[in-house]
Amino acid sequence: MNLMTPVLRESAHLARDRAFIGWAALTLLLACLSVAGGLSEVDEQRNTITRLIEGDRQDRLNQQARHSDWGGAAYANFHLTFDAPSHFAFAALGRRDREPWKHRVRMLALEGQIYQRDAGNPVLALSTRFDFAFFAAFVLPLVLIALLHDVQASERRAGRHVLLLATAGRASSPWRLRAGLRAGAIFIAAALPLLMGGGLSGTPGATLLAALLLLGGYLAFWSLLAYRLSGWERPAPVILASLLGVWILLGVVGPAGGKRLIDSVVPLPEGADILLTQREAVNDAWDLPKEVTMDAFVARHPQWAQYAAVERPFAWKWYYAFQQVGDQTAEPLSLAYREGRRHRDRLAGWLAWLTPPALLERSLQRLANTDLRAHSRYEARVRAFHRRLREFYYAKLFLEVPFDSAALAELPEYGAEVDRPLF
Amino acid sequence: MSAAALLAREQWRFWWRSSLALAASMLFLALLVSTAVLTALRTAEETHERRHQQQTANSAFLAQPDRHPHRMVHYGHYVFRTPSPLAAFDPGLDPVTGQSLFLEGHRQNAAAFADSGASADLGGLAWLTPAFVYQLFAPLLIILLGHNAVARERESSTLAAILAQGISGVTVLGGKAIALLLAIALLLVPLLLVAVLAVGQGESLAAALLMLAAYLLYLAVWGLLTLLLSLLAKQEQTALALLTALWLACALLLPSLAVNNTARALPIAGQIETDLDMLEDLRKLGDGHNAADPAFARLRRDLLKEYGVDTVEELPVNLRGVVAEYSEARITETLNAYADRRMALEREQANLLARHGWLTPVLAIAQASRAIAATDLGNHQRFLRAAEALRFDFVQGLNRLHAQKLAYSDDMQRSRDEAAQRRTRIAAENWRLLADFHFVPDSPGNRAKAALPSLLALLVWFLALAAASFGAASALSRIRL
Repeated sequence: MNLMTPVLRESAHLARDRAFIGWAALTLLLACLSVAGGLSEVDEQRNTITRLIEGDRQDRLNQQARHSDWGGAAYANFHLTFDAPSHFAFAALGRRDREPWKHRVRMLALEGQIYQRDAGNPVLALSTRFDFAFFAAFVLPLVLIALLHDVQASERRAGRHVLLLATAGRASSPWRLRAGLRAGAIFIAAALPLLMGGGLSGTPGATLLAALLLLGGYLAFWSLLAYRLSGWERPAPVILASLLGVWILLGVVGPAGGKRLIDSVVPLPEGADILLTQREAVNDAWDLPKEVTMDAFVARHPQWAQYAAVERPFAWKWYYAFQQVGDQTAEPLSLAYREGRRHRDRLAGWLAWLTPPALLERSLQRLANTDLRAHSRYEARVRAFHRRLREFYYAKLFLEVPFDSAALAELPEYGAEVDRPLF
Repeated sequence: MSAAALLAREQWRFWWRSSLALAASMLFLALLVSTAVLTALRTAEETHERRHQQQTANSAFLAQPDRHPHRMVHYGHYVFRTPSPLAAFDPGLDPVTGQSLFLEGHRQNAAAFADSGASADLGGLAWLTPAFVYQLFAPLLIILLGHNAVARERESSTLAAILAQGISGVTVLGGKAIALLLAIALLLVPLLLVAVLAVGQGESLAAALLMLAAYLLYLAVWGLLTLLLSLLAKQEQTALALLTALWLACALLLPSLAVNNTARALPIAGQIETDLDMLEDLRKLGDGHNAADPAFARLRRDLLKEYGVDTVEELPVNLRGVVAEYSEARITETLNAYADRRMALEREQANLLARHGWLTPVLAIAQASRAIAATDLGNHQRFLRAAEALRFDFVQGLNRLHAQKLAYSDDMQRSRDEAAQRRTRIAAENWRLLADFHFVPDSPGNRAKAALPSLLALLVWFLALAAASFGAASALSRIRL
């Protein structure tokens, strides 16, 4: 028998199945909506960055005439830092929804600035955006469940089960083919808009290929599961309810429980404690002998040791030195916070293997550079930029270079930081 | 016993014998109870932690040594928001807003450190709360229980027999509705317990009752929807498939799409962007640290005239302190103008999102539930306002001390002269001007008012579905199958 004949026969059967056509059309529509939503959000973020770069430059220019010394200029000048969305961010917005991806920092203690949140309306951050990752991880399995749970039960109900088995020869082949064709069609309906979005957004081919492989593997998992359970000799509602139960278990209960577990296994320092520690250190410095601050400063910046003497009650170099010492004091807490977050993320990465929806979302976010790693890399870039800013002003303040506002043109610019892998 | 009651009892007998109904109910209750316990524990721990942090922050402020009062303006203060009692049921915005706020002179900071940022990512639905379980999964259970209420009788031909006995279709619907309503009432028992617990922790009885009523209404909407489709569908399997699809649309798709739509239809510029304009406006107000700033020339003139002296040194008050107080008031006006604008825009966005509740009851109940639990946007903004009032109060208190207790000449010399610098320190006992921060949730009346539009949407859903079910049930008798 020609291998293609049953495929053609089943395809023709599918093309007449109105319920199936409805689900496939819905899948296509939703995939388009998710991709369009992601593209428009990413577009908005890019435009925001463009506007901010200009506004930030203008803001410094406007003030240039007002500066009379390096310390005052450093105090007044804010600098924009940002994390531009990747070419695949449209598909998985990830942390960009909830975490700040733009800051304006100045020469003061960085620990007091880097946690500032410019994260938008919390009402919108609370619900998950309808991006492709959410759609694929949570909605697509439900579509497959709806389509596949009764491939065998419906025929059994209709009394054709035994007949079809007898005519088809091998026990499972007609159902397997039918289920495979349905799942394949859903995959195509979901993948096409993603590919189009990738084309519009200039996503690298390798990223898209990886995304398609992930999507294919994920849909294969749910199709197999739904297909297996559909062979269970129970009424269709029982099968459907059981599959929904599995969906809730893998998509919601497992991840939520895992999150709680990870949070309790890996405690983080309270964020507020980092800020409090830094603030206490900065403020205490006003009342401490100046040498205490300068010694702590010089210990980490030995190149300024011979210029560290402070004779007057107030000097800018001392002021910025205690800002630096404030960061140094909070550093252990801040490092513990960052390391704890990464540790939680690593554990979540392992746990996600047990909960496929979380695994798919995490993997797509990884591809899109919208996961915790990407966020941490951005934070590291902000820190590196701030370090360069400090080095620029330290050289002026400690060497007592006469103020020259033209030299402000040489201020470091954000963007040149090396994107070092952190993990 | 009336026919409707008999039908209801029969339906319960069926559920009792159905392993599917029993298993699903047990699983749902297990999920609900474990989530409720975990969330309650977490909220209790957070309440304790925030109270402790607030005390630490208060005593740290009071324990500061003698110093220049303006230094205390920059030392600043921290306030922490303790969750409302009903946050143990619906934490609402709490996990994404940040719970601590740093208050200092000349600035309004944003709340820092949201829980959601510190936790690992495990997919978009991993933040399980009792409210979320009710909103998303209780409808699924109701669908599972009720989808075959009428369709099963129709398929097994018992419906014709019932109708033939002269029992009207409306009575059949009534019986099934009573059975389902009883099941819904049972589902609400865990919420009742949480509400009792919250009242024990100081929540108002009215808010707790309103919460119960809101969820009763919400689940009744789903109950009616289920019965309606069970009435209309020819087969129970069709009813289940349609209801599952509706649930997918209402619970998962529409709320998420509504967020996309709101963000697109009503974009808000980020804080950094609006701050660019605000910084420019603030600079026009002059530098309050510099009493010689031309922006304060008029203030200086008026002050000299008021006290009838020629030089600022002769003034009985410290000009620098007066300038600081004046400047802080002007700065705060500008800061508040920008903050008000931002908050109004955020509320507008939230309202737009809430209006999507007319499309799906899931959004309507989510909005109403947050409002009643005092964990919605309005309440977050109340917290920000209360914190701002405290900030302005202690900063101006310090500025008045600056004006009254410090000599102008010492103040001017303090950066060059150690002795003058020592004389500009005032005693630590003055720091007691800091008021205690007690943030209490909004009154139940106001919370009900905030929940009203969403509750209204739910009520309209309920009435429309009731009318449609009534119509479908009446049609049942007429056709006589």
